[in-house]
Amino acid sequence: MLTRSTFQHLPPKFVLAATLLVAVFSQSLSARDHPYRALDNEELAECDAFYWKGQSIDATACYNNLYTSAQPAHIRAEALWAQDNLQGANSQFQQAINDFPENPMVRVRWGELFMETFQFQEAYTLFSEALELDPNNSWAHIGAASSLAEGGDPEVLNQHLSQVMDEGLAPHGARLRAMMMAVRSLLRQDLYQEAESSLEEAFEFAEDNNLPTMELKVLRAAHAFMTRQDHQAWIDAALEESPNYGDAWFILGYHATIIRRYKEAVEFFEQAVALQPTHWEAHINLGQNLLRLNAINDAIEHVNTSFEGNAFNPMTVNLLRLLDTFNDDFVTDSYPNPPEGPLPELILRLHEDERNILKHYASRLSQESIDLYKERYRFETKEPIIVEIYPNHEDFIVRSIGMPGVGLLGVTFGYLFAMDSPSGHTEPRYHWGTTLWHEMAHVFTLEATSHFVPRWFSEGVSVFEEWRTGPIPGRKIPTEVLRAMSEDKFLPISLLDDGFMRPDYQGQVIVSYMQAGLVFDFIDLEYGFDKIVDMLYQFNEGTTPVEAIEKSLGISDKDFDRHFKQFIDIEYGPLLGRLDVWMEDMQTSYQALQEEKFEEAIAAAERAAFTYPDYVEIDSPYIVMARAYSTLENKEEEFRAVETFWQKGGYLPSALLSLADFYLERDMKAEAEAVLVDVSYADPFLEDLHIKLGDLYMDTQQPANALIEYEVLLALNPLDKASANYRIANAYNALDNADKTMEYLMTALDIAPQYRPAQQLLLELSRTQN
Amino acid sequence: MCKRLLLLLLLLPVQMLLTQNVQAALHVTIIQGLGGIPLFDVSFNDQRHKIREASESMTDAALVSIFSGDDVSRESLLAHFATLAERMSEEDRAAIFLIGHGSYDGEQYKFNIPGVDITDTDLTDIMDSLPGQNHFLVNTSSSSGVILESLENDQHIIITATRNGNEKNATEFGNFFAESLASDTADINKNNIVSIQEAFDFAERGVTEFFESQGKLATEHAQIRGNGAASFSLSRLGGLETFNEDPRINTLLSQRLELDSDIEALQLRRNEYTNADYIQRLQALILESAQVSEQIDELSEGSELELESEVDVD
Repeated sequence: MLTRSTFQHLPPKFVLAATLLVAVFSQSLSARDHPYRALDNEELAECDAFYWKGQSIDATACYNNLYTSAQPAHIRAEALWAQDNLQGANSQFQQAINDFPENPMVRVRWGELFMETFQFQEAYTLFSEALELDPNNSWAHIGAASSLAEGGDPEVLNQHLSQVMDEGLAPHGARLRAMMMAVRSLLRQDLYQEAESSLEEAFEFAEDNNLPTMELKVLRAAHAFMTRQDHQAWIDAALEESPNYGDAWFILGYHATIIRRYKEAVEFFEQAVALQPTHWEAHINLGQNLLRLNAINDAIEHVNTSFEGNAFNPMTVNLLRLLDTFNDDFVTDSYPNPPEGPLPELILRLHEDERNILKHYASRLSQESIDLYKERYRFETKEPIIVEIYPNHEDFIVRSIGMPGVGLLGVTFGYLFAMDSPSGHTEPRYHWGTTLWHEMAHVFTLEATSHFVPRWFSEGVSVFEEWRTGPIPGRKIPTEVLRAMSEDKFLPISLLDDGFMRPDYQGQVIVSYMQAGLVFDFIDLEYGFDKIVDMLYQFNEGTTPVEAIEKSLGISDKDFDRHFKQFIDIEYGPLLGRLDVWMEDMQTSYQALQEEKFEEAIAAAERAAFTYPDYVEIDSPYIVMARAYSTLENKEEEFRAVETFWQKGGYLPSALLSLADFYLERDMKAEAEAVLVDVSYADPFLEDLHIKLGDLYMDTQQPANALIEYEVLLALNPLDKASANYRIANAYNALDNADKTMEYLMTALDIAPQYRPAQQLLLELSRTQN
Repeated sequence: MCKRLLLLLLLLPVQMLLTQNVQAALHVTIIQGLGGIPLFDVSFNDQRHKIREASESMTDAALVSIFSGDDVSRESLLAHFATLAERMSEEDRAAIFLIGHGSYDGEQYKFNIPGVDITDTDLTDIMDSLPGQNHFLVNTSSSSGVILESLENDQHIIITATRNGNEKNATEFGNFFAESLASDTADINKNNIVSIQEAFDFAERGVTEFFESQGKLATEHAQIRGNGAASFSLSRLGGLETFNEDPRINTLLSQRLELDSDIEALQLRRNEYTNADYIQRLQALILESAQVSEQIDELSEGSELELESEVDVD
């Protein structure tokens, strides 16, 4: 799997169920950018003028004339580069380095060529070498900053930029490029007012210095689009200045993806490739956004086109690899089947290898959540909702953002969301049912607002729904968030988006998720759930979050913050005051358990549970108690500990399976069934689960449900296939399906001819027939 | 008599039963090496108990030799196998279980026991010294895979917990292998017997799932070599009756054995039939076998009732 950059200073990973709200990577150069007078060569400038004015034939002739031995190698390189001959340009730059070893601009331009081929580390090296030759070379600083924008150290990036912005001596073209880079950064961060001011300043500067403004106009169009103003006039203006400027639409499309407007992004990228068919970056972005809209075959076509044009783009290569077998690897199932209307309500796209394991649970949970959210959010879906579940985490990430290495669990694009399968996570912490529930809530908040919902709001609702209506209800606040709460790190509501978009410290994103969830818990308890829905729909009108609070709740954001703080103090004050004691008790309990001091472990765990009774992560004190009691052979107390763990929302599969056994021993079948169903949303890949649940369903005269469990068991390819087939035969027999009964029974007996229970069933059937 | 007969019944395809010598015996040797730390001692003790129990379901307890703790030394083991080689006939089978840690220095494998360790050369010599063929050795130790280089041949069935000598971490394989011997799940063909192949399949899957569940790369990859692993039985789970004092039951048992033999023959000729034809034939045979089993059960219950009523009268 290719990675975007070899830089090691990647942003801290975070593992979250999340909608894709920001592009992870900054905008890459699409083709040879306007040089903004970086090169002092009149003949090249003349060719570039033809090119940027859209006079392609004249430009081609001009560049061809430049490619003569009379021109220095780096000018010949520019001529080849302008005509998309990247390899030829590279050779000429190599020659130019030999010819002009002391000329920093040769290295700068060669670095820019490396940028175009996504070799950011190599580009940065060349910019650095140029700066060694000329520490004040503004073009080299801009190049270095651009390469660092692809995952490098932001502090170093800013140092390079400030060298250009702060020094009055920087060439005008370099300064303009720095200004545009700043504008792009502001737009990426939703800082629209600041972006607007910077744009005005940049326009004035460009006009004063007679510099090209088409890129500025496109950024102005992007700003207009992002702030719900008319963008077309700015695009028209840019195209008037440079008629073949594919970037006009590409840059707009890029900014549309940042604010999750994927449909519009597709339209913009389509315009880009129509205007400039060799805009390979537009093709790959079009492909990726078509994927987000479920237009798989169209997406494949554009990914292939992009690869044929530029095989250097790692995103292209990654997507190509994924899509190469995508249609074979993934299978779709529609629900209901047949649909009640022209379209199904739900489509599951599951990997062939685990389709028969997951489809029942995924469809059941999806349908439940869809029905619930339709009612709660007063929104009728207008398209089928598509749920994709990936057994390979990196495939899921590539599908979502094109590049691997990000710790997301789920990403929603609108009516389609993709997520990790439980098989992609070996650690018991991952609860795929909750991730599905979380992402499904995003579908509703995004689509109900035509994707205008702010990120904190959408995430907050999803977390709130996890806790309130999800498969394992109950607030689950990680320890690091409790610590942040105790340090008063929650943000004012007006700045909560910053916690997601511009985190100041490691872990702030997860803190923001939890804060957003608590915000809606608070609103629900204090003002009623309807107020949440009222607020949601206000975003359709272009209302800001602060205005939405004022309109729906009738208070200012400052008052809201004050009330919310009081809520947190009431809910968590006592715990936060004893957080250190709780952590010490937790540590003591685990240490004592390890040292086999079971009574001590139980005592410490009981203290910890008393302080924070709702803590049911996998290191919950109830688990410590259960383990200790198990070793002490105190079955009753072990049962109580595991039962409390489950009742409070704990989902550790091994603990829940043992709880089911306890319930079955006590003939508490309904409770056992509920526990086992819960396990299926944590880890449906456990053979034991399906045997227990299937047998329980048979015992309680639910053969149809039992059949599902046994079919999943068989799909898991168990070692003991005879008994799996026999169980299925039994379920079919209970359902009076004689043909299927005999089919599975004979399969079982073919594997194990001496299998007595199966033989006995055969005897029974034969006697019934006779 | 029963266990000697049983061994042969379980070692050979059913069809051959009536013509074979019934004097073959199974000689089991269980060797528990050093645990090093209590955690491993507990685990190895548990494995030893399970293997012993399984072995005693297959052969006379007197033919099960156990070496653990202070009983284990290279001298005592070599002496035991020398005696065993003299005692065994060509028809007899040996099953050797090595439970413990092993090491490999690039040249020599050692199974760790008190005093001087047992080496790969020792193991080769032991296997070579046994009369007859198709003996079984399972080595659950770390680095055990390296012994395949010297032991692998068509004469014996060898299982090792690791692929080679370089997989040096303490292994999980032994736990699962021992567990398989009492597991209905491991008994894939539901004949109430766990064969070497079934035990291996169960343990191999157990190891794979163990490492997957831990989110770790597997540090061991079990190996099996030799022929006949599916027909060499290691454990009897109960219920398989091959001889009865009641002549009526005995006749039915023979009848069932013949039917089982017919089923096996049919399965071997599966490709000669259409699927529907095959299933029809299989169904008929199994139905017949099931009816015979039912009659055996009824007669057995009747005998028990008779016996109970006799006791009551007394």
